[in-house]
Amino acid sequence: MAELATARAVTGRDTEDLSDPAYLKIRDVIYRISGIYHPEEKLYLLASRCARRMRAVNAKTPSEYLDHLTVRGGREEELRLLLNEITIGETYMFRSQAQLEMLRSVILPQIIQTKSAIGFKRLRLWSAGCSTGEEPYTLAMFLLEESEKMLAGWTFDILATDLNDKSLAAAKAGIYGEYALRSTTEVLRKKYFRPYDGKQLEATNQLKSLIRFDRANLNDDSKMTFLKGMDVIFCCNVLIYFDQGSKHKVVQHFYSNLLPGGYLFLGHAESLYQVDDRFHLVHSPGAIGYWKPSIGYTGGGKP
Amino acid sequence: MNLHRLEEIRPKIGALEGMPAVPAIVLPLTAMLRLPPDQVDVDAVIELVSYDGTIAAHCLRMANSPLFGRRNTETVRSAVMVLGLKRIEAILLGCCLNRIVPPDKWALDPVTFWRHSLGCALVSSKMAKLIGYPDPDKAYLAGLLHDLGILVNTLACTENFRKCIHAARDGRVALHRSEEEHLGFTHCHSGKMLAEHWHFSGDVTDVIEFHHDIAALSGKPLVSLVHLSDLLCRLRDLGYGYYEAMGVDLAGEAAWATLVEHFPALTNLDLARLTMDIDGSMEDIVAIVDAVFKP
Repeated sequence: MAELATARAVTGRDTEDLSDPAYLKIRDVIYRISGIYHPEEKLYLLASRCARRMRAVNAKTPSEYLDHLTVRGGREEELRLLLNEITIGETYMFRSQAQLEMLRSVILPQIIQTKSAIGFKRLRLWSAGCSTGEEPYTLAMFLLEESEKMLAGWTFDILATDLNDKSLAAAKAGIYGEYALRSTTEVLRKKYFRPYDGKQLEATNQLKSLIRFDRANLNDDSKMTFLKGMDVIFCCNVLIYFDQGSKHKVVQHFYSNLLPGGYLFLGHAESLYQVDDRFHLVHSPGAIGYWKPSIGYTGGGKP
Repeated sequence: MNLHRLEEIRPKIGALEGMPAVPAIVLPLTAMLRLPPDQVDVDAVIELVSYDGTIAAHCLRMANSPLFGRRNTETVRSAVMVLGLKRIEAILLGCCLNRIVPPDKWALDPVTFWRHSLGCALVSSKMAKLIGYPDPDKAYLAGLLHDLGILVNTLACTENFRKCIHAARDGRVALHRSEEEHLGFTHCHSGKMLAEHWHFSGDVTDVIEFHHDIAALSGKPLVSLVHLSDLLCRLRDLGYGYYEAMGVDLAGEAAWATLVEHFPALTNLDLARLTMDIDGSMEDIVAIVDAVFKP
């Protein structure tokens, strides 16, 4: 009875009939392919995304649409289009506060401790799939602010790569409007940006100089092999477009790109489950990081 | 542990005896709801809900909230149908436990406390089902009540407990660490006293006493289960209302190893997916707690 009541209660919110088991199957297809997961309570979001694609392909029911995703011709293309719907929405700076907080209070102290011991005070971050640059600029501001605190005396560089030339050009230009800066405080805007063409702001040269922009295909083995010595890799909402095989390969590269004790961050609802079990899933309030164990780690308690 | 200081609060726990209705409603209700869903006497539940005007009003308000589509639910019966038994149970327990603490005594925000308890209950029963633990409902109850000692500390040593909370928040450390330092004992010790006083079952009492005691976990899968759920909740915005500076490899925890011994299926648990499930449940948890506490 409880389940019945719940199902009725949830369907009351939307026009889509969420009790249709086809939605659960679509959810699982999406999860298997992309690692993006819709919990029961967020199925209505998935349903509304599907609704748009269902209209486009003229599918009458969720189970007919499931066929479009699994058995009919053009299913890979349809999956890609649905993923586009699911990950829609431009990004903005300081979007993942919880990840930055984890970086500040958990990850950096560990790295500082390890690297200080050998007198190697250098930090390398990589924004893999940087799109139009919001993420690397956020990291640059974050590091510059910390360089007045716990990172005093450290040097750092940020590698920002993307496959898309247009996105990279925009990222290099570093010009942003109100949407991208919506979570950037007035203090940081004044410190790291200058006015550009009326309403927009342009990143200062100090900020730009910390970031090396480069075109890179994560599927390109020869390129991936040379990117060594990373402390933290951010790869948010990128792997979702890879099939299981190439995802596995890319994550293996990430593992060897990272130094022991380094971290990999994925997008908010993504997971590496059954992709690479050498990474340890590390929880911090509101964020999940994938940790490459330090040399000599044997489990037991906090990393 | 400072035994002397702990014993000081024992007489105060005795004085809780006269508090309204806690064991009287909670125990028969949880016993009733622990039956398989098809055997629960829904009429008896409805009667129990109707018996108390405040609780009935809370249920009705929640059934009519936006989360449930703002339908026009006018009777307790339809509210029970709309909400489902699990939510009704949570509202009832929330109301009952809330009544034992006068509003001016709360050191931890009651909304925060109850979200954490309810979150831990949901995660415990979810995880129990996923790994094949035979009694997910007991896991739910144990999760719900694991921090009972926080209520005891709130009532029995209000001012000192307030200091613990502030110190924990400022130092961004776990609450039980701060209690050890400032009280000499933790909510685990005081919670156990109240649990025994109320004649809770041995399993649930164990969870209340040992959920932060890594050394005492072995051979106690339920304690390990709730220990992990508690950690997971504190790592997903369902903690004590402040940011604890920690990064935890759950699969590297001692409790994980204990649980794997009893339930090998745990090694295949998709922890990331469970975490996202918890995030997805937030809306529901917030709604239930608001129904109880928001005037």
